[in-house]
Amino acid sequence: MKITIENNEAKFLFRIADTSLILAQRMAELCSNAPFLEEDIAISNCSLDLFGRAEELYKIIATIEGNKFTPDDYVFRRNEREFFNIKLVEQPNEDFAWTITRQFMHDVWAKEVFTQLSSSKNEELVGLCSKVLKEIEYSLLHSRDWMYRLGLGTEESNKRTQDAIDHLLKYVEEIFNFDDLDKEYFSDCANIERVWQEEINRVFSEINIERKEIQPLSMRDFRDGFHSEHIGHLLSIMQYLPRAYPDAKWS
Amino acid sequence: MEKGDKVWEVFVQKKSGLPFKHVGSVRAYDKKMAIQNARDLYTRRSEGRALWVVPVEAIVSVPLDNADAFFDPADDKAYRHATFYVTPEGVNHL
Repeated sequence: MKITIENNEAKFLFRIADTSLILAQRMAELCSNAPFLEEDIAISNCSLDLFGRAEELYKIIATIEGNKFTPDDYVFRRNEREFFNIKLVEQPNEDFAWTITRQFMHDVWAKEVFTQLSSSKNEELVGLCSKVLKEIEYSLLHSRDWMYRLGLGTEESNKRTQDAIDHLLKYVEEIFNFDDLDKEYFSDCANIERVWQEEINRVFSEINIERKEIQPLSMRDFRDGFHSEHIGHLLSIMQYLPRAYPDAKWS
Repeated sequence: MEKGDKVWEVFVQKKSGLPFKHVGSVRAYDKKMAIQNARDLYTRRSEGRALWVVPVEAIVSVPLDNADAFFDPADDKAYRHATFYVTPEGVNHL
């Protein structure tokens, strides 16, 4: 099955939908593996919100594309180069600081993204945004509070958080290299970057984290389906069952 | 768990005006974490609109070995129950 994308709006929405999906899968890896029971449930809850968000977005995409493919096709039948998530969210759960930092950086971005999409011309998308913004508000409370605990916690937690940030910042620059599609469907691209930089710098300065000059990796853009090496491993686990048993059905 | 965490008792109110009911406990390092953990564990199926978390050491309870002194004296005072009245005629729904 070769998945095709014909409409510009669908092409644009894949960036948002895939970002939600891949982050959801990364967080789902922590189900039963989080540092303690309550956090396990908290992370799994956020993961489920993200899976739900991705599914709704794939449904909207499917409608735009004339229902040639289902959300399951989009999730399970595409290869690496056919995913358009930001590289930040495919980075692994190296330790808890990575998980939280990745989440925080994503949530700050997502809040402004969905705020702008809530004035979209697509009514289904607007309806989804009001629900999603509440979820993001909560997720942001969770990830931001943890940034403070880790940054201001112990010498060890501060060091690990600084390491996570230094690594993850390498994948941020591409997010703000907006192209014509972004400019067509976001109401104010420049504001996405402005809001993100302000909030990230504000929090870092309050938690004894240094915002170093990070050289971005010279990798090609996620908008063209380019990834870090981690995506293949993630997809191989996520897609294993329907790839191995193509006739399997949800029951 | 490592040092620093403590147990918090969780109370959920189904809707405004109803009493808060004890639903269980969570472990957490601070107030914010306690209320968020409680939200994730006890309200994810629309169980309520309001939450209390109380550090377990803030709850005062009767020491177990004092239970006899506290509660047994009530056992032989059945007259404290309002069951010795003749219901007036015409009262159907008492």
